[in-house]
Amino acid sequence: MHTRQWILPLVLIVLGPAWTRGQEAPAPTDQSSPFNQAKFVPDISLILDCSYLLRSLPDESYDMLAVPGAAADDEHGSSHRGFNLNYLEINFYSIVDPYFELFAVLHVSEHHFHLEEAYGLTKKLPLGLQVKVGKFLSGFGRINEQHAHYWDFAKRPLIHETVFGPEGLNEVGARLTWVAPFETYLTVGGEVLMGENASSFGRAGIHSEAVQVDEESVNGPGLFVGYGRTSIDIGDASLLFGVSLGRGTTRVDEGFSAGLDDGAALAGHTVVWGGDLTIKYLFDAIRYLTVQSEFLYRSTDATLYTGNTPQVFQTSPFERRQSGFYCQAVAKVGLQWRTGIRFDMLLQNEIVEGGIRMDIPENLPRLSAMVEFNPTEFSRLRVQYDYDRSRYALADSRFAEKTVHELSLQLNLAIGAHGAHAF
Amino acid sequence: MRRICAALIVCCALTVDPVSAGALRVVAAYPYIGSLVEKIGGTNVQVSSLARGDHNPHVIVPLPSFIAKVRGADLLVINGAQLEIGWLPPLLRQANNPAVQPGERGFLDLSRSVTLIEVPAAVSRELGDVHPEGNPHHYLDPENILLLAGAIRDRLSEIDPDAAAYYQENHQKFIELWRARLLEWSEKMAPLRNARVIEYHKSFDYFLRRYGLVLAGTVEPLPGIPPTSKHIERLEALLKGQPARYVLQDVYNPDDASRHLAEKLGMALRFLPHDVGAVREAGDIVSLFDEIVGRMTR
Repeated sequence: MHTRQWILPLVLIVLGPAWTRGQEAPAPTDQSSPFNQAKFVPDISLILDCSYLLRSLPDESYDMLAVPGAAADDEHGSSHRGFNLNYLEINFYSIVDPYFELFAVLHVSEHHFHLEEAYGLTKKLPLGLQVKVGKFLSGFGRINEQHAHYWDFAKRPLIHETVFGPEGLNEVGARLTWVAPFETYLTVGGEVLMGENASSFGRAGIHSEAVQVDEESVNGPGLFVGYGRTSIDIGDASLLFGVSLGRGTTRVDEGFSAGLDDGAALAGHTVVWGGDLTIKYLFDAIRYLTVQSEFLYRSTDATLYTGNTPQVFQTSPFERRQSGFYCQAVAKVGLQWRTGIRFDMLLQNEIVEGGIRMDIPENLPRLSAMVEFNPTEFSRLRVQYDYDRSRYALADSRFAEKTVHELSLQLNLAIGAHGAHAF
Repeated sequence: MRRICAALIVCCALTVDPVSAGALRVVAAYPYIGSLVEKIGGTNVQVSSLARGDHNPHVIVPLPSFIAKVRGADLLVINGAQLEIGWLPPLLRQANNPAVQPGERGFLDLSRSVTLIEVPAAVSRELGDVHPEGNPHHYLDPENILLLAGAIRDRLSEIDPDAAAYYQENHQKFIELWRARLLEWSEKMAPLRNARVIEYHKSFDYFLRRYGLVLAGTVEPLPGIPPTSKHIERLEALLKGQPARYVLQDVYNPDDASRHLAEKLGMALRFLPHDVGAVREAGDIVSLFDEIVGRMTR
């Protein structure tokens, strides 16, 4: 056994060089590389976003806070004091053939990796139609479809995060868009989505034999989104106006189907309305001012199941009505400089369980201001200050507000072939 | 949702494309292209230009209204050589118009008809905003306009063969006028042969090359990077013994660095229009060059 182990390496050592010597430099008669596909490499780009954060609260205290009425975010750790590697975004794009294009966006953070988008897009449909299929950011509203690196402020607006969660409305499904053949821009889009956005929707069934609850799961798409956008130019100003509507099945299951005694589950429907307005005024070839505002309203009607033994089991109607908006003004003041402010507010925050309105704070504001230096279009340095009064600590089932001050220095770098951004 | 879908389908059915009833709808990326298409297309075409002539052609804000224009176009004519890369692709994608996608008859890239100069041997973003295919401001060589006019005539005739003779006639008239102008401009520019000039951005290289002017430096340290004081000092040192005749400045970039250089070294600062509409006097493709030559020789 011991000697046999030597045989193979020995043979290789002896024969290897001899073999390659035998193969040495046969002059190629044909210089072509007929199966080389290097020219078909898709456009690839990497976008890195990191920041240094100063915050008025220690990380431990901050992590205990939450925006009342918004689902707790367990998956995404919040940014912490000091250095943060926010994300690395990997983009792929290429034309597939004369009929399709393909986009894929991978979102990578230090310990997580997820597919942000992967979709095919038609190129040749007639009548101003286009179909998108795959996983993609919904066209609902204005900011949802934009990737984080294109945002003017580091964080998602409060109402957006409350309604759609930390990743926005990002679903598997299909979209049909139509651009009207008018002189005025008008586009309409309809999306059929699976509806798995944990903050507002859900598809899983809710079952408990002990208390005989049997809410069937949604087999097939559970969320429908429609939106329309139109735009007019008045002199040097351009206005973009949009309305959006989403309606889907809501399912939340916190240990109820698993049979936990204190489990709770929610089954019903959620409707989200949105309206947005963007005004861009071009002062000259360099400077502009953009005012952008979005309003969202969410309404959930559901049945709440609590307790998993006949003794404590309860069924009660659940109603949730929430609304909020953000309004921001961003100015490009020089070739490389931009600055802006955003006011962000969760207005209505009404949750009624079994006819009893819960005592949840309303009108939660946040104010952000930023200054940006863009050495080129591929790099960006931003200083952002947030004055956040939307976060509360829950003590003795009472909400206690904790004002948070944050100052962050952000660096965003892009390399490779990255497509231009839309308006 | 079903109602929305139904409404969408009804809308589509009701508004079946009003297929170019009469005039051919041409969308031009820049006003100079629009002007050129008007010269060749005459009354047979309805032209609209996207970008403004007085803005930086590299950084055009892609307004939603542009999408509506591209949506309705029978032909989209672009400058090419990646001048539009920062603003046109999303518009093209959002317009849902298969007729004007690259590769189609309704898409014309003018840079394909001319020979580009300053094609970089190596490309790196360390070198600023470089265009891998070469300097994209090819139309500022007035001789190139002849080639572009030919490409536009050919494409209009291909899309609208019934009017081919009309386009040919317009083209002929334009060429004759242009050749006469070329003689005039050559004559006026002749005394400037071998004159040294500074320019802000490498916008006018084709023009300078045509008339034998020598580019002694650019105010930008690298393409697309605004001037730094270090770079200006270096330029000053370089030009001290031998100042250039002109500092050429476009109408859209800040002019303080150019102004400073010109004053310090006793050079003349000249604002040149780079496109139709950049200055009031440059109302069409002909007056654009009249104005450039006029401002250089005044």
